[in-house]
Amino acid sequence: MLGSPSLRLVGKRLLMAVPIVLGVSILTFWVLNLIPGNAAQQLLGPEASPDQIQQLEEEMGLNRPQVVRYLDWLGGAVHGDLGTSLVSRQPVTDELGPRLAVSGEVVGLAFLISLGLAIPVSLLAARWPNRMLDRISMVVSTTGLSVANYVFALLLVLLFAVQLAWFPAIGYTPLSESVTGNLRSLALPAIAIAFPLFCFYTRFLRSDLVDQMQGEDYIMTARAKGIGPWQVLLRHAFRNSAFGLITIVGLNLSTLIGATVIIEQIFALPGIGQMLLQAINTRDFIVVQACVIVFAIITVLANLLADLLYAVLDPRIRYGSN
Amino acid sequence: MSDTLLQVEDLRVRFDQRGRRVYAVNGLSYRLRAGQMLAIVGESGSGKTVSSRALMGLLPPSATVTGSARIDGVELVGMPEPEMRRHRGADIAMIFQDPTRSLNPTMRIGAQITEAIRAHARVEKDAARARAMELLSLVRISDPQRRFYEYPHQLSGGMRQRVMIAIALASDPKLLIADEATTALDVTTQAQIMDLLGELRSRLGTAIILISHDLGLAASYADDVIVMYAGRAVEYAPTRTLFAKMRMPYTRALLDAIPRLERQSHARLPITPGQPPDLTALPPGCAFEPRCARATPQCRTSRPPFAQHEVGHWWACWNPCKDGEPV
Ligand SMILES: Nc1ncnc2c1ncn2[C@@H]1O[C@H](COP(=O)(O)OP(=O)(O)OP(=O)(O)O)[C@@H](O)[C@H]1O
Ligand code: SF4
Ligand SMILES: [Mg+2]
Repeated sequence: MLGSPSLRLVGKRLLMAVPIVLGVSILTFWVLNLIPGNAAQQLLGPEASPDQIQQLEEEMGLNRPQVVRYLDWLGGAVHGDLGTSLVSRQPVTDELGPRLAVSGEVVGLAFLISLGLAIPVSLLAARWPNRMLDRISMVVSTTGLSVANYVFALLLVLLFAVQLAWFPAIGYTPLSESVTGNLRSLALPAIAIAFPLFCFYTRFLRSDLVDQMQGEDYIMTARAKGIGPWQVLLRHAFRNSAFGLITIVGLNLSTLIGATVIIEQIFALPGIGQMLLQAINTRDFIVVQACVIVFAIITVLANLLADLLYAVLDPRIRYGSN
Repeated sequence: MSDTLLQVEDLRVRFDQRGRRVYAVNGLSYRLRAGQMLAIVGESGSGKTVSSRALMGLLPPSATVTGSARIDGVELVGMPEPEMRRHRGADIAMIFQDPTRSLNPTMRIGAQITEAIRAHARVEKDAARARAMELLSLVRISDPQRRFYEYPHQLSGGMRQRVMIAIALASDPKLLIADEATTALDVTTQAQIMDLLGELRSRLGTAIILISHDLGLAASYADDVIVMYAGRAVEYAPTRTLFAKMRMPYTRALLDAIPRLERQSHARLPITPGQPPDLTALPPGCAFEPRCARATPQCRTSRPPFAQHEVGHWWACWNPCKDGEPV
């Protein structure tokens, strides 16, 4: 399926990603140096004498010029070494793995939940437009989109953790420890991320399906064949909507990074978002830099993946319309 | 008569949209014999599409259909949807104006044809595939083996319309409605598709309703012609009779308009000077009266009945044209 045009697209986009990631790293480095305070001051606390601070700064290499420090970091980064945490003195890459796994699990669950609900709800709504379920789904998804996800997260905690005690309010149980415990600890954060996505997908999918069902000639052709309404909806309308949906999901993946930072904070999940916030607080610029780079790479890859899936799956693009 | 395939009587279609009522079809009657080719002509908005979609139950929910339309004696008006579905494709099939938009762009040609085959018969995948190849050959698509696996955008407009015809013929319908099926095509392709339809009719015995605003096209291919205006039939005759003794001033106007139409037409423009009638408030008299050169005071106040005035020749006009007389 992957013809050479697709491969060329991948090559081109990966090449374009290099200056983007590089630019992001420079920008982050520069902005971090504008923030008052550094890791040495932060570690030693307000009681420390200027001499102590200066000594630690020298140990950490913080007294060197910005450009030198950046190039030093870059030299390591191109070899896959993102440096050593200023605070924990551990290689950053060692910590990134497990952190990414936690964030990845939450985001993955959120996608499963949101799509798993949005697709059947949209199909039912489009099957009987303007009827009960359609109206309810429209109201829910419209209001849902105007609620910030951290507000929704707090509501979830209040209801399901505090009131009903079905799920733990905070904390994380590793998968290796207990599968159900793991899922229970991730349920609320995943739902908090999934809900706005569900609203978004439902709105998109429902209106895309209804527009097709009412306006497209090929739907009329399908109906004129005498096939059933569900078959028209699934084989003809949904099939076409699915291509658009894939692109949207791919693009969402990058916007979700912001959501994980907030949600992981609320639920005390040891993901990469939490890692980033902690590092900012301790002025552990090496870790911050690493997190930001990882985010940038995920964003670029997610967008690439969305385009690629679209190109591979949609025959109109696959064969280049003429 | 025994060989009547379709009997349409006093067919009416009304659309209700937010307090506004559009009377799109207002008492249409005609009869179609098995294997006959009937042309329905009329300018844009005269109700050609709506009246034929009413036969297949393919109108939006805002439409109310009354009157009667019987195919082989089976009443189609008011038929419940699940039952209607069994007739769609199997008894009546339809092809549309724009072959670019009427095929699903993300589905292979073959899948779109086999879907139609399997809609009405229990057919194994392989048998359906073989039948699809047969249909592709029937509509004279070369290299069906290859085309079967292609997508619509890989085909030319003419070929797409051939595929649409193959889909329509999948379940051997008794009636094929071709709604402006050649309007979007260039002149050469248009002629090829029309020839194909003519050939299929004589080979398979499929009756065809040819919907067009082009009286010239109707003249070259159809056995009979119905001229529609404001949702009603205004003249109806065998094609030869119609052209020899055109009675309705409106039909004359349509004929005179042919050279001006250019190809590529289907513009939403009135063919004769003046506005097409307002379908929300039809006049009590002849709907064509405001635009008619032959109109008399009577035309404004009372509607001329649609009646058989000469053998096989029906019209609705108070002051019909005499033989050879200019409008
Ligand atoms: N869904 C609808 N709601 C309201 N009015 C409609 C609807 N569909 C069609 N009409 C109206 O019914 C009338 C007849 O339309 P129809 O499509 O049958 O015309 P036509 O003779 O096929 O014209 P054309 O040559 O443009 O295809 C038009 O005035 C049109 O505006
Ligand atoms: S009835 Fe009168 S207005 Fe109508 S077409 Fe005949 S002459 Fe013209
Ligand atoms: Mg039409």
